[in-house]
Amino acid sequence: MREITLSQAVNEAIAEEMRRDPTVFLMGEDVAEAGTPFKVLSGLVEEFGTERVLDTPISEPGFVGMAVGAAMTGARPIVDLMFGDFIYLVMDQLCNQAAKQHYMSGGKLTVPMVLRTNMGATRRSAAQHSQSLQAIVAHIPGLKVAMPSSAYEAKGLMKTAIRDNNPVVIFEDKLMYQDKAPVPEEEYLIPFGEAHVKREGSDITLIGTSSMVQVAEKAAEMLAAEGISAEVIDPRTIVPLDEATLLASVKKTSRAIVIDEGHQSYGATAEIASRLNEKAFYHLDAPVLRMGAMDVPVPFSPALEDITVPTAEQVVENARKLCAGEMIHAA
Amino acid sequence: MPHDVTMPQLGMAQDAGRIVAWLKAAGDPVAKGDPLFEVETDKATMEVEAQAAGFLTGIVASEGDDVPVGQVIAQISESAEADSPALAPSAPTTPHESDALPDGKQITMPQLGMAQDSGQMVGWLVELGTKVGPDDLLFEVETDKATMEVPAGASGYLAATLAQAGEDVAVGAPVAILTADAPDSPVARSAADAAPGTPPAPMADVAEPEAAPATAAAAPPAKAPVTAEGGRILASPKARRLALEQGLDLSRLVKSSHPQPYHVADLEVLRSLPDDTAPRTATAQASRRLTARIKRAGLEAFLDWAQSQGVENRDAALAGLLGMGHAETLAIERMGRAECFAIARRLSQVAPSERAPELILRDLRGSFVQDVELGAEDVPVLTLLPKGKGLTLVLECAADHISAPGALDLLNTVAGRLEQPLRHLQ
Amino acid sequence: MTKTNTEDYLRMYTQMVRIRTFEDNANQLYLSAKMPGLTHMYSGEEAVAVGICEALTDDDRITSTHRGHGHCVAKGAEFKEMFCELLGKAEGYCRGKGGSMHIADQSHGNLGANAIVGGSMGIATGSALRAKLQGSDDVTVCFFGDGATAQGLMYEVMNMAALWRLPVIYACENNGYSEYTKTEEIAAGSITARAEAFGIESHQVDGQDVLAVNELTQKLVERARKGEGPFFLELMTYRYHGHHVGDINREYYRSKDEEKDWKENRDPIIRFRAWLVEQGIATEDEIEAINAAIEKDATEAVAYAEAAPYPDVSEVDMHVFAA
Repeated sequence: MREITLSQAVNEAIAEEMRRDPTVFLMGEDVAEAGTPFKVLSGLVEEFGTERVLDTPISEPGFVGMAVGAAMTGARPIVDLMFGDFIYLVMDQLCNQAAKQHYMSGGKLTVPMVLRTNMGATRRSAAQHSQSLQAIVAHIPGLKVAMPSSAYEAKGLMKTAIRDNNPVVIFEDKLMYQDKAPVPEEEYLIPFGEAHVKREGSDITLIGTSSMVQVAEKAAEMLAAEGISAEVIDPRTIVPLDEATLLASVKKTSRAIVIDEGHQSYGATAEIASRLNEKAFYHLDAPVLRMGAMDVPVPFSPALEDITVPTAEQVVENARKLCAGEMIHAA
Repeated sequence: MPHDVTMPQLGMAQDAGRIVAWLKAAGDPVAKGDPLFEVETDKATMEVEAQAAGFLTGIVASEGDDVPVGQVIAQISESAEADSPALAPSAPTTPHESDALPDGKQITMPQLGMAQDSGQMVGWLVELGTKVGPDDLLFEVETDKATMEVPAGASGYLAATLAQAGEDVAVGAPVAILTADAPDSPVARSAADAAPGTPPAPMADVAEPEAAPATAAAAPPAKAPVTAEGGRILASPKARRLALEQGLDLSRLVKSSHPQPYHVADLEVLRSLPDDTAPRTATAQASRRLTARIKRAGLEAFLDWAQSQGVENRDAALAGLLGMGHAETLAIERMGRAECFAIARRLSQVAPSERAPELILRDLRGSFVQDVELGAEDVPVLTLLPKGKGLTLVLECAADHISAPGALDLLNTVAGRLEQPLRHLQ
Repeated sequence: MTKTNTEDYLRMYTQMVRIRTFEDNANQLYLSAKMPGLTHMYSGEEAVAVGICEALTDDDRITSTHRGHGHCVAKGAEFKEMFCELLGKAEGYCRGKGGSMHIADQSHGNLGANAIVGGSMGIATGSALRAKLQGSDDVTVCFFGDGATAQGLMYEVMNMAALWRLPVIYACENNGYSEYTKTEEIAAGSITARAEAFGIESHQVDGQDVLAVNELTQKLVERARKGEGPFFLELMTYRYHGHHVGDINREYYRSKDEEKDWKENRDPIIRFRAWLVEQGIATEDEIEAINAAIEKDATEAVAYAEAAPYPDVSEVDMHVFAA
């Protein structure tokens, strides 16, 4: 099968959906000729023109608000938010307006829009261009949250997001834009709420999102060399969450580590871990561990930044302790 | 129809208003929009306008009265004479005159702790009307710290109880009255009957029981220790569950000085410990044997169906069907050969496994054996035998593998699945 | 006077009285503690909503505000469903999930009342963007108050609306007060000048004169359909009640004399009624009959809503996500 980059996969998904559905359009800062700073959208304006690929002023609340209004009246906008950190600028439009219209109207209004943005540290971009804010969005009822872990997921999830009748936020990992993966030529969609078991194992379940799926896979390789069989699962969407697959795995292995690049406290890892705890308690042979980014603003210096994000080595160390029955965090 | 005039809701967090003045008198004609009365809330004073035209009648709230929001205070009627006597004032908030309190010594809720401002009346220890002495225990009170019985502290007849079991009463508030003479009609009231904000009637000779001599019971007893050894055993939830299901006693690991916390792996150690108690040995040796009879057709159809769904390995399909929900691993034994499968949520994911089986299915369908009674083995064993056109399914296990109800349930479920497999897969 | 105009005028009068009557009944429901929560009264501003909405079709969209009952009635909603919504009943326009601050009859192009001041400016402008992208000739009117001119979102979306010539009309209902504060204390300079800075054609109009509002809106809507938008209107009006129903002690921010003056001398309904009689469009008796019919309609709708069932508890997690 051919291999393409995550960036190309996103571009293909958007192009295919724009060809398929004339109500789909794209708006954001420097999305047209510039194709975004990461060049993800290059070429789209040539095919679809500036009517459907709109460069906006640097007015995030303004153009996200307009996407909500366009979506409520029959269009399917894809909004490009240049950095995930800018979510904070659009909280009212996203969380008070987009997320609640369907509910507040008793089901009469819908907001079929996609907010595509990114996440991930270790690009030396410091505290306001490196955050992974998926948990903040996932906390708000009415928003769906997709977190592709490779080019394959990026394409299939984007196409599903565009066709979904709800506001969907997609977080792409900035570091992964140039990573290649096998992506079929023929059309496919990845349904929301279906986790992918990336690797089967019997001793411990490693649940990773987006960038942390690679970390989990690398850790599983290292653990295999030590005779520990790790199962790796990518939830692919954290809202909705495929609880059944996660629970079945943990019931089988009795142990789990949840890894996500957002801050650890009150994070996505906490939510997943506590669901496992509530629903698989009597199958657990060890505490479920959370591994998120350190609870510090992302520092600039490479010497500091690199230690804020979970690594495969740390995952291995924790997995080893859990499988050996060592007490973790025991007073 | 007369229009009700109600106390308006004027503020966001307001539940009552005071009538400052009536701006119309009973019988006066009013037009819609006429100022009718003046109301004062914590925020402001304002004039309330009439919402209908007619004659002001049936005024039931006077100037100075505090009236809850929404309560009817007058009516606007079609004629001045329609003053409606039927408009009753709302339920009185003061006690009825008819059961006035007897005069006597007032007993109040004692202060029992430093930071305590009320006590819960647990119950009266003396019947209403009974004569009591100062040391007689009168009632029981519970605070956040303790439950204690309170002596009367004075002599007299229990003529009135002013709080019922379960009610919280402020410290210092009256809970009973003792009279010198036997009461004609003792009064029993609820603390809720006391008018809000009304201080206890000034009565001479208030007796407050002392807390010190009271028979103070300690705080509620602590829960029984988890193990007879005292101290909680540290074990994973799964290890605890398996120990419970398999009748294993984790405290034996503690006795053998095996280090805590215990995980599933430690249960192996527990099983290998020498049996040290006679009764346990007896149970361990006891075994169970149960038999079920089933039709044969369903199973064959199921295995064909599974194959059509891409599950080529018929034994894997059989293992998945029987093991799901009962065991993580199940071995199928046939003519001396055994293969173990790891059970998965989906049939297609059931796969051969190197792990030890938790359950064994001995398939003797193709044999001449008509019946088995082999006794319990390491794990529960299901044996499938031919029986005429049908099949017999026998479950044998040790008593400490599975409880009697558990064994019945297991055999019943598995038999059901074998007879109507496709129904169980829906 | 043509027959058509007569019908239009009587309809405008009727719609204004319907708003006033709805608000009087809503106020009574609140005062008698029958209505959950609180509400913001539109009384006094009727000519704005009616003058504008009577210039729109069902395909044209509006976005409304926390003071939204007037827009809702003016855009074609029915009393029954509105009172049901106010009381949190299942038959309300939003199945009782929105309440006073989110009330809207979506089927007539009302994109919802918004409880965030200025919160719907993006939605209105986005609706206009959609119309332009899809080649539809509908126009979107964004209602907001003078208080919302202090929100940054307004300037972001006016910029884009002007850049892309979107068919949107920003209708600023200047009732003189930003909650409990005089507008002049929160707004520097001129409000229309702010829109003019983006090159947006702006008008100030007497918001108590329903004919003036309607005539101007008709012209602007026609021009917006032809791609000559956006436009900005500042409608000078007055709210008779406080910021919300519990705001009764208002003397610290405005005098009773001022309120009396607006109610007695500038009331949009009194003014228009006098004009209708003077022009011979309707007699006093005919107008009284209209008023009585509306009063009856409202009384019946209130009784209906009071007796109507609440939503089943199973609806609590319904409509979080669309299918």
